[in-house]
Amino acid sequence: MADALLPGALRASPGALSELALFQDFCYRYPETKVPALDQISFPLERGLTILGGPSGSGKTTLLRSLNGLVPHFHGGQVRGRAWILGHDLRTTSTRRLSREVAMVFQEPESQFVMATVRREVAFGPENLGLPAAEIGDRVEDALRAMGILNLADRWIATLSGGQRQRVALAASLAMRPRILVLDEPTSQLDDSGADSLRRECQALAGRGLAVVVAEHRPWRVDSTGSQRLELSHGSLLAEAPAKSGPGTLPRGTARPVGSPAWQLRDLSVGHQQAVATGIDLECRQGEVLCLTGINGSGKTTLLRTVAGLLPPLSGSVNRRPGRRAYLPQEAGSVLHQASLVEEVSQTIRWLRLECRPGPVLEELQLTDVASFDPRDLSTGQRQRAALAAVLVGSPEMVFLDEPTRGADQTSRVLLLRILERLATEGAAILVATSDSQFARQLGDRVLELDSGHLREPGERAA
Amino acid sequence: MNPRPLAVWVAAVLLLSLGSEDPILRVLTLGAALAVLLVHRRVGTRVRPALWAVAIAALLTVVFNFLLSHTGRTVLLNLPGWVPAFGGPLTLEGAAYGLDLALGLAACILAGISLSLVVEPHRLVDSLPAGLSRTGAALGAAITLVPRLGRSFVAVRETQQMRGWRPRGMRSWTAVVVPSVLTTIEGSVLLAEAMEARAFGSGPRTSLRPSKFRIRDVVITATSLAAMAGFLLALVLAQVPSWQPYPSLILPQLTWWPMLCCLALFAPALVP
Repeated sequence: MADALLPGALRASPGALSELALFQDFCYRYPETKVPALDQISFPLERGLTILGGPSGSGKTTLLRSLNGLVPHFHGGQVRGRAWILGHDLRTTSTRRLSREVAMVFQEPESQFVMATVRREVAFGPENLGLPAAEIGDRVEDALRAMGILNLADRWIATLSGGQRQRVALAASLAMRPRILVLDEPTSQLDDSGADSLRRECQALAGRGLAVVVAEHRPWRVDSTGSQRLELSHGSLLAEAPAKSGPGTLPRGTARPVGSPAWQLRDLSVGHQQAVATGIDLECRQGEVLCLTGINGSGKTTLLRTVAGLLPPLSGSVNRRPGRRAYLPQEAGSVLHQASLVEEVSQTIRWLRLECRPGPVLEELQLTDVASFDPRDLSTGQRQRAALAAVLVGSPEMVFLDEPTRGADQTSRVLLLRILERLATEGAAILVATSDSQFARQLGDRVLELDSGHLREPGERAA
Repeated sequence: MNPRPLAVWVAAVLLLSLGSEDPILRVLTLGAALAVLLVHRRVGTRVRPALWAVAIAALLTVVFNFLLSHTGRTVLLNLPGWVPAFGGPLTLEGAAYGLDLALGLAACILAGISLSLVVEPHRLVDSLPAGLSRTGAALGAAITLVPRLGRSFVAVRETQQMRGWRPRGMRSWTAVVVPSVLTTIEGSVLLAEAMEARAFGSGPRTSLRPSKFRIRDVVITATSLAAMAGFLLALVLAQVPSWQPYPSLILPQLTWWPMLCCLALFAPALVP
């Protein structure tokens, strides 16, 4: 397509062209940074499904933000090169204008909620489009049904689990009925059924001629036939995207000896006022790794927090042996506040009076290069690793991690696996709540499933 | 509760608590604000953190007025003159006036908070005239910051405790308060970005469900307007007592007309 003809042609008859967006030598640098976040990006965005890959910090989120103009209009910074979105010049078209046709789901869905209830949240976008009430209602119903959360329509968002919130955010973007749908790590907290629903919906939307762009560390969860693959590395698009692949396997450590019980649960009921799980009898021994799975909203976080001592049990007992507990919440942001990553880890060392230095754990999680960075300037995947470094430094006796693979690329998952294997070998009792079933199978000595308020044990991992 | 009558009621609470320095009227106004908040708070909202915040703000008001006023005849304590700002006589009158200010402040804050804890933010947005819908959406989002700050505080405190932080005096709380505020501000920026990305402000808004006005809303609006009108009339006719604890502490007067106006503010707590 001739460069000079492109914008006008797209604007005149957008339906006639297969490209919904075109980037040509597009470069972008965030304010007050020296390294470009995007460097010489050139590609046409075709109708259908496009999967954007690349390690944490490679520029995926920045590229997604440029599709609806948040980069550069909201974030500022410097732009070079050209980009046209639906025939509009990105440099001169505001996000408000583009967002009427380009919907985006952010990496941290909980940060994008404006309204208090699910139905109203999903209606927020269509309301902004000025649609009649009846049409808004229809769109809301359709979007909730597509994401399998019609039963949550009148629930308060504050009462939902992380995975349920992710579904709400996805439904809210679907209700906008955009021409380009941009999803940033949409399955990071979804259980397998949620990921399946999303994959089907992406396929259906792509079939209807939309462009669906998904940045995803586990592309097989959303991939379908005919999808386009793009791979980013250090802000540049690789000439050839890697071949499609399945989940593969993560390296597994050798079987470990287990010690005496680190904690025991007896006839435990957990919940906030109302029980979400009851009759739980469980123990975890030193050196043992338990993974807790279950569908979104099954109570994984509530159980984990109760065992960690952050929530009182509704009934029954939790007996923990004395010792240091390390806890990683679902939102890594609540861990990271210091001006640099090395200070963040040093803070834990000071508070716990540990006799160690921050260097080894940063090296173990491959964060040495960014040790002097402000944690808030890191990518989501790096932030997740940074939070892990801050809570796992030293040798905690009990470890409680809530969705630790959220936003993690394959490298981060391998690093996480290694550090947890090391801690378990040193005798730590580890409990991980995760909707990442592959990770749970690879890591857990035992994988437990919370199902309809009860804990089930499908089987023990082979030694 | 419909947000429009609640907004009228909030205006009445602000007028009555700021329009007079009489402690009896302020106690009544504070009681009304507290009653409405406790009776009508939304299911699932946590009132306790808000009450703690108000109590701390009120306590600080009393303490600072006590330490800084140095006026009044009943001297309780004399701090050496070399103590900056606080040096000098500390009086019973200073403490009493601080308490009076704290009562007014607490009533105003509780009434304001009720907009967040009683009414759902989207209903506030819906209740505004069409021309102000964008302002309303921004207001609704801003109001969600209060519970967001509360959640952030709890999350940060938990994670910091698990990392070995222990509360040891006021200064140690900066390790929790500063990150909570920072996280909330960061969340606000992300929210603004998300609103922009969801076509907010791209044109006139419509609503899924416009608010309805019920009999209860009529009662609340009428009593709040009556309270305001009655109080303003009492002010004009010099029927509102003026109370000043300086130079010597005096007991406040019982004046039925403005007290009745204050009692009318309990109406929202009484209607089902």
